[in-house]
Amino acid sequence: MSIRDRIRGGDAEAFEQLFDEFARSVYGHAFRLTGNQSAAEDVLSLTFLEAWRLRHRIDAGGGSLRPWLLGIATNVARNTRRAARRHDDALARLPRAEQVPDFADEVVGRADDAERLAAVQRAFGTLRRQEQEVFALVVGSGLGYAEAARALDISVGTVRSRLSRARRKLEASVADREPPRPAEQVRGDRVPAVRSAREENR
Amino acid sequence: MNAGEREELARLLPYQPELPGDRCRQLKEFVMSEIKPAKRKRRLPRPAVLAPVLAAAAAVAITLPLLSGGAAYAVTKKADGTIHITIDEAKNPEGLEADLRGMGLNAVVDYIPMGKKCSPQPRSESFLSEEEAPLTLWPVPEEGQVGFTIDPRVVKDGQTAVLEFSVSDTPGATVAGIWARVSTGPVAACRLVDSTGAPLGPSGG
Repeated sequence: MSIRDRIRGGDAEAFEQLFDEFARSVYGHAFRLTGNQSAAEDVLSLTFLEAWRLRHRIDAGGGSLRPWLLGIATNVARNTRRAARRHDDALARLPRAEQVPDFADEVVGRADDAERLAAVQRAFGTLRRQEQEVFALVVGSGLGYAEAARALDISVGTVRSRLSRARRKLEASVADREPPRPAEQVRGDRVPAVRSAREENR
Repeated sequence: MNAGEREELARLLPYQPELPGDRCRQLKEFVMSEIKPAKRKRRLPRPAVLAPVLAAAAAVAITLPLLSGGAAYAVTKKADGTIHITIDEAKNPEGLEADLRGMGLNAVVDYIPMGKKCSPQPRSESFLSEEEAPLTLWPVPEEGQVGFTIDPRVVKDGQTAVLEFSVSDTPGATVAGIWARVSTGPVAACRLVDSTGAPLGPSGG
């Protein structure tokens, strides 16, 4: 029996496997949309509670459930409070993390790293929500256009156009804010700060 | 988009930290404890547990006030096989879905606030007409109680009852209307979108 069938049938063990496999992926997507570790943890938890609630809607056929989970996560990130209420205000029972260090303190050691990351963050924040969602799914989570379209319940053409607009805006915005630097240095700076889509997809 | 393009565009993504392993395990334990019925909050016996009682008192309607989420709704399986639903609070649709399934009805339940409607519409490409599958029975009020009566027998194996309830935003008010159809195929999840029209069903009616 496939994991789809098992989860659809209410198999909690199979659902736990699903969490193990995709929790980090969902968290990454949630963090990109919320920009906040605590909010991303809320979205992660609620996404899996929603997935369990909606398990009977899983089609028998099909590939990985990751695009489906990321679609749920996108909806939850849009309205976390509503999702929490659906689960009897589950967030009130969610164990809170200990003090979370700011990422700039945790990872970024050099001032130019911090400045560049902040510029990227600001640029991403200027996108419309729908553009952020598409860019995060396709570039951040590595979904194909058709997968992103299904996850967001929009057409492939809309995915392409939103992605194109997002890319244009981001490139223009980052170019405006960031002074040009030698290519080698930019590449070198990028490694610790931004995980590749391939890495994310493991 | 190929891997090279994606790699190139990744530089435009905000930084995203790793979720620490300990925290990930903690969140998994939380999720698993929330979904396991044994750890749920107060819940009266499931309909399946009550089956012998139903058999012994077939002429008596059994009311199951379902208290998870704070007495949000009640469902009554009546002697004639129909199900009466009363909603006091528009929350815990998953509980209502589960309890309807416990009564043998595979159902999808969504609450639609004022100014919203479900997207996409229609949520299935294979809805049966009201004539083919008369799911909702009228009139619905019973002994002064507002509610809705549905006939689960029109939903055959492999089919899904799609129930959308419109929710008033007036304090103290709850569900104002129901749209109910039977789908013979997959049903799209309800994503609430802004709407100036009526909140229920494909045509707003």
